Parts: sequence; structure tokens; C-alpha cells
Amino acid sequence: MRNFLKRNSILALILASAFMFSGCANGDGPPVESANGIEITDMAGQTIILEKPADRIVALTASDCEILYALDAGDTLVGRGEYCDYPEQILEVKPVKSGSDTNVEQIIALQPQLVIMGNMDQTQQQIDAIKSAGIQVLITDPQKIEDIYVAIEIIGKAVGKNDEARKLIEEMRSTFDQIKPIDGDGGRKTVYFEVSPLEYGLWVAGANTFMDEIAEMTGLENAFSDVSGWGQVSQEQVFERDPDYIVAVPMSYASELDYKQELVNREGWQNLKAVKNDAIYITDSDAITRPGPRIAKAAKDFYSFVYGKQPEQ
Amino acid sequence: MIKNNRDSFSKTEYLLFAVVAVAVFLLCISVGSVNIPLRETLSVILRAVFNMPAEESLSDSVILFVRLPRVICVALEGASLALCGAAMQGLLQNPLADGTTIGVSSGAALGAVLAIAIGANTSILSGISTVAMAMTFAFLSLILILTLAYKLDFSLSTYTIILMGVIFSMFSNSIVSFITTFAGEKVKTIVFWTMGSMAGSSYGNALLLFGALLLFGTVILAHARELNAFAIGENNARHIGVNVKRVKFMILIAVAGLIGVSVSVAGTIGFVGLVIPHITRMLVGPNHKKLLPAALFLGAIFLMLADLISRVALSPLELPIGVITSFVGSIVFVYIFYFKRKGR
Repeated sequence: MRNFLKRNSILALILASAFMFSGCANGDGPPVESANGIEITDMAGQTIILEKPADRIVALTASDCEILYALDAGDTLVGRGEYCDYPEQILEVKPVKSGSDTNVEQIIALQPQLVIMGNMDQTQQQIDAIKSAGIQVLITDPQKIEDIYVAIEIIGKAVGKNDEARKLIEEMRSTFDQIKPIDGDGGRKTVYFEVSPLEYGLWVAGANTFMDEIAEMTGLENAFSDVSGWGQVSQEQVFERDPDYIVAVPMSYASELDYKQELVNREGWQNLKAVKNDAIYITDSDAITRPGPRIAKAAKDFYSFVYGKQPEQ
Repeated sequence: MIKNNRDSFSKTEYLLFAVVAVAVFLLCISVGSVNIPLRETLSVILRAVFNMPAEESLSDSVILFVRLPRVICVALEGASLALCGAAMQGLLQNPLADGTTIGVSSGAALGAVLAIAIGANTSILSGISTVAMAMTFAFLSLILILTLAYKLDFSLSTYTIILMGVIFSMFSNSIVSFITTFAGEKVKTIVFWTMGSMAGSSYGNALLLFGALLLFGTVILAHARELNAFAIGENNARHIGVNVKRVKFMILIAVAGLIGVSVSVAGTIGFVGLVIPHITRMLVGPNHKKLLPAALFLGAIFLMLADLISRVALSPLELPIGVITSFVGSIVFVYIFYFKRKGR
């Protein structure tokens, strides 16, 4: 639920970040290796200079940790945000507090050369405190799938894995390229993304979320596209919108099987189209909500669920 | 007849409150974020009342499976919270007391957090295990608080009860914080739940709340005379022959049981138990024979309306009910308070 809030606050500041993106254009160019070292412009528009590829890194965001491992640079991590839990070997890395609980002292004590963090994670004071200890701060802030490539590129640059980063981006792009709408009978079908079970209030993923973007790509319409970001909606709205597909991410509330069982047994849900047609997909919340490398596979799996087959090359 | 009228809730007054409550109930059933015409609403309810098979239509689903159980739960919840608040304010002779003062609700919240943290994940979603754990803990807290209070202060004085409640609340809250720190992200969701949510209300919940209100509510209502005696002073009550300790025990147990069930079903919804008794007192006076039943109705009416606002204000989004109860409650309170003063 912390994430929901974070996401909302991110969206509230979408204007500010859109402004900052103008600084990201540099990210597309070839890596600049001047005599001074590696120059990187991060996603908050700040330029940092590293003498050499960083080999002591603290990363606070789960997606950034996943990117590091995907670039085969997981061994550079000396600290991770407490919610970074993928891949499994990351659990051996020392956890530090992140988000609103960020503890600067904890980070400095690990003596990293570089801290990678999300845009909304920390206050400016905390960032300044880290910088004044001689530690570089790299900020990532993907709002759309396209932005994930920028994050991968700058993280790749920071650890000197430019080729690996390029390869990973290419792989992800080619996966996403395969995901195209298939024209079917009738109009556009709708999908409902549930991110919190009924018991705690129904939270849905609306517009400006990765799930919404994946639905769009697949040719579906988000049933709650009028909600921005993640929001709590009334149960009766789900009944009224009667979506063609239900996609639920159990977070860590329950196993996938239990979640489905609970969902179809809710009072009145048996009358929903998606429940009658068994068009329910319970999936790994982290893969589809984190702006990391796994989102490509999550999108592919979503496509297979909708069309009953793998996307064609 | 006149004397009777002044003493207790007259039939006319009962009727008046009941009519308003039923009207608000019907309003809350017919209005929601999905627009269903009134005629449609009535026909759905009539069909359900006469046990005719429900149709597979949108209005049937919305009214029978979402609004009806929810509004019933909300009404019972509001009634319970207000009744408990009124009883506690009378018993402890303290205007800031409410059902949560004895600390049982914190205990219930602790139980719910534990249920999730231990990883009883398999059955949590059925809604049974969280509720069951919360109720068990509410009950255990009650025993613990009363035993300790009794051991520390045989006469069970007001201060002892308040202090025990406050300290027990702090104690359980510290454990909740401790668990949240270690159990990571998933328990943080429960923090939202403990702040109050009526979204998942089912007929099962309604039945549970109704049973609790029937049992414990009757106990509280039956002690209206003793509460009146307490209001003048504990010594006074003792002198006119009230068994002070026994009455205290009975009311505390009833309040704790009722609050425990309420919190287990819907989390802690703030402000209702504190403000509604005051508003009621301003309307019908301090006599508990009137105050208690009136608070019962007003609590139900208030929470139903608050829930209605939370459902429709930002439709399709839903607001946390606690936001509405605190916001509206404080304004209504000041308003009534101001005009009562002025009228004097």
C-alpha cells in the first residue's frame, strides 16, 4: 500500500518530472567517457561524474536492483532497499531503510561510491547529506515503459556495462514489439486491474500505470481509465463496468489459487462476465508493477492470457 | 404520562428516530456511485423481501450484494460505536471517553496485524481469520485489562480504568509498530484497514454485528438507571444502593465486547463514539434512559450518511470513511454546541 501512495505522489508531480525529462535526452547518446571519467545525466536531470565504473553501490528501489542483476552487475551491490527482493540472491545483500524511512547514516556507513534511488524516495536534505559524504546519487524515475530503457541505460553506464544494457534494452524492445492488438469481433474489450482485495477496499490500477500501458498495447481498454494512478473504487462500479477480463495481483496477501478462490466467491461476483467466462488472471504483482526488466515477460504473459497464445515474432 | 415522557424515551420519540433512520437507510440504498432509478431499487428490494429469485441484472447485483449488506453493517456499526461512547462517557464521567478508551480496540487491531504477520495467508482472504483473530485479541485484552485493574485497585476507580486503557493501548500499539517494522510491506496494508473500511461488508458481518449489538446493547441499555446515578457521582450511586463494582464490570464487559466485534469487522472508525453521544446529549438531554436509545439511532444515521458521502463524493473513487466522520463530525459538533450555548 505504501507503493500506491508513492505512485500517487509521483503522479501528482508528473508535471515536474515531465519537465525534468527534457534533461534525459542525453541518455540516448553514446556513453561519454571524458578524461574526467564517466558522465551521466540522470532522470532528474542532474549530471554526475564517476571516475570509473562504480563497484560499490547502494540501490534503494526494487526495479533498479533488478536492472543491476539483469546487467550482471549484482555483485556491485553493498546495500539494498529493504523491499528489494528479486532475484533471490539479493537477500544476502545488506538491507537498508528506504522510502520515507530512509536512514542516511546507514547508507553512508556502507561506504558506497554511488547510491541509486527513485525520484520520490528521499527528501532533498537526505540527498544532500549523502552527497556531502562524497557519495554520488543517481536518480531513476520511469513513468512509462519507454522510460525503463533510459533507467537501464544510465545504470549500465554507471557500472560500465554499456553493451549489456544495450542488449537488454533490445531484448525488451523486441518482446514489446511482438505485443500488438489482434482485431477480434466486436468492440474493444475491457480489463479490470485489481491491486488490493475487497477486504481492504478495492484498489485498482487506472491510467498512467504500467498495467494500463500493457493493456493498451495488447488492444484492451482499462475499465478504470478514468482513475489516474492507483485508487480505491466502489465495488458497485466494478459491477456496472462488468469487465471482460479481471487481472489481480495478490501482492503478498495470498497465494494465487487462494486469491482466485476468494475473488470468485465474493457476493454477487458470479454475475460478472469475466467470472462466468473464467477470464481471470492472477499474476505476480512485482513483475507487472515494477519498472524493471521483468515487465517484458509480464506483458508477454498477459498477452498469452488474453489471446490464448504466445505473441508472434 | 408527562413524568414518563421526561424520564425515558417515549413511544413518539422512538417512532420519530426510527422513521428518520429508516428514511436514511432507504436513501443510502438508493444512492450510490452507480445510478439506479428509485423504482428499480424498490422492485429489487421487494423481490428480495418476498423471496423471489434475484435476476442477473446490474441493479440486483449492486443493491443486493453491495449496498444492502454494506448499509446494514454501517448502520449497526454506527449504532454500536455511539452506544458504547455514551455508556463510557457516563460510566467514567469523562467527556473525552469513548468505546476505545478501555484499550480493547487496540488489542483487536493487534490481533488483526498478527493474523497477517504470522502468515496465516491461506485463509486471510476469506475474511475469517483476520476477524477471528481480532475478536480473540479483543477478548483477551478485556480479561487482561480488567484483571490488572482489579488487582491494582480493588474498587475499580474511574482513573484506574482510564489509565489501564491508555497504557494498554500504548502497549498494543507499540507491538503493532514493532511487527510492522519487521514484517515489511504486507503488514503496512493492515494499517489502512485498522483505520476503518466498510468496503468488504457482507451479510455474515452484518449478522455478527447484529448479534453483538443485540446481546451487549441490551446489557448497556438495561443499565441506564445506574448510569444516571453514576453521573451524579460514584458515592451517590453507592448511597442509593447501586452495586457500583458489579455495574462497572457489566458495562465494561458489554462495551468491550461490542467494540471488539465492531473493530474486528470494520477497523477503528474514529469520532463516532466520541461526538455522537455529545450531539445526542445536546438534543435529548443527559438522562441515560433517553440518551442511550437516541445515541443508538443517531449513531446509525450519522455513519450511514458519512458512508454515503464516502461512496459518492469522488465517484468512482471511494474516500476512507474515517476522513468523513472526523470532518463532518467536528463541524456538526461545533455548530450544535454554538447554538445550544447561544440559546441559553
